[in-house]
Amino acid sequence: MEIETIKLKDCDPNFAKEIIGAGGKKANVCFQCGTCTAGCPTVYAMDFTPRQIMRMVNLGMREQVLQSGTIWVCASCFTCQSRCPRGVEITSVMGALKNIAIREGITPQNKKGPAFYNSFLEVAMDHGRIYEPELMLRFAGRSEKSIPGALKSLSKDIPLGMGLVKKGKMAFLPHSFRRPEQLKIIYDNIRKMEGEK
Amino acid sequence: MKLAYYPGCSLESTGTEYDMSTKEVFKALDIELCDLGDWNCCGSSVASSKDYLLSLALPARNLAMSEKLELDVMAPCPECYLKLWKARDAVKKDPDTLDKVNKALDGTGLELKGSIDVKHPAYVIVNELGLEKLAERVKKPLDGLKVVPYYGCVMLKPPRDEKLDSPENPTGLDRIITTLGGEVVPFASKVKCCGGGLILTNKEVMLNLTHEILKEAKDAGADCIITACPLCHLALDGRQIDVEKEYNEKIEMPILYFTQLIGLSLGIGPKKLGLDKNFISTQNLLKSLKL
Repeated sequence: MEIETIKLKDCDPNFAKEIIGAGGKKANVCFQCGTCTAGCPTVYAMDFTPRQIMRMVNLGMREQVLQSGTIWVCASCFTCQSRCPRGVEITSVMGALKNIAIREGITPQNKKGPAFYNSFLEVAMDHGRIYEPELMLRFAGRSEKSIPGALKSLSKDIPLGMGLVKKGKMAFLPHSFRRPEQLKIIYDNIRKMEGEK
Repeated sequence: MKLAYYPGCSLESTGTEYDMSTKEVFKALDIELCDLGDWNCCGSSVASSKDYLLSLALPARNLAMSEKLELDVMAPCPECYLKLWKARDAVKKDPDTLDKVNKALDGTGLELKGSIDVKHPAYVIVNELGLEKLAERVKKPLDGLKVVPYYGCVMLKPPRDEKLDSPENPTGLDRIITTLGGEVVPFASKVKCCGGGLILTNKEVMLNLTHEILKEAKDAGADCIITACPLCHLALDGRQIDVEKEYNEKIEMPILYFTQLIGLSLGIGPKKLGLDKNFISTQNLLKSLKL
């Protein structure tokens, strides 16, 4: 068996620090016990286990981590973070990784994760609250390559959508948030502050 | 007792029956809920994946509105509850963060002090009202109904306050069931993720996790599962038909919000609790309770 060599010169020594700054507290104190992986409900669908991701973060394997499908299979259930004996905020590390991957336009093979995150936030910022029909349209448009693909993906959710409408659980119009400009003010303030860094 | 009420986006749509039943139950328990007015989306787990400060500032606007009312805020959706709590915790622990959040709120006419608390309805009932008080109001005991207490993930994780409940072996919902005269089904997956967070992005994984929970409940002979989360509810109830198709099994497990179950035993009409809005029919359950 050939063992893969990790070239430290290709690694980013500041990566763990970057993750901590983006909300992944204590990312640098992982001691590789594997409690996170043992308790992870979605690990079977991941390309790297949570423990491996933590090691790769600390080695600075920026590119491999950000391209990994793992960060998008994470269901944000906080089991790993709750059980970590060193208090590493692993779920928040996954969040920070998603954050950086989205910002740098790095998309995994399954585009649905970034498509959902981008669409959700756009709808929340535009309307102040989530408006499901628009979320579904934006999501389908983003996650599929073609319009027929998007329509096909949407059609799969028609039974649930119709059920929600029939039960009076899906509004036809956006909800009654009256001051969407308030969220724009907040967003602009943050962008200004982060530009000053 | 008086609290500010933050319904959150889900309770205006897919979780309508959670909103209805929470309001009905709290009215019956004489806990006043004050309308928060023009609240905004808490940002869910999504805002923190976009920008950390934004994930604090979005809930902070709602917290500042509650502070204006001088009331603690209650959020039934565990994700909203977590995000409001997280923002509140971050500004409480670190004056720098409070300063940054207030800079983000600059121009909105709101300012955060960090003076109020964030609560979940299940624990307002268990820890603050008290189960003795709940027991006094029970008009229609559940008569040994076999109920699965399903906690989901983020109502108690990441751990917030030891006094609230155990994140690994919680008993709050168990004790509510017992108080109402129901029988608690011992349930290994009581805090295991249902995959609801992947409902749009990874349906295969979501269906697998949801199936595990439904199957355990079915095998244990449960009459229903109760949940406190609109996303768990959408997965377990709204997607149950998809799980049945995918695994070629009949499950037909009613999924109730814990507030719907409390409401029934307080003698509130099923329609007022939105029991006709659940996807998996609750008719047989209501019949067995002679309702």
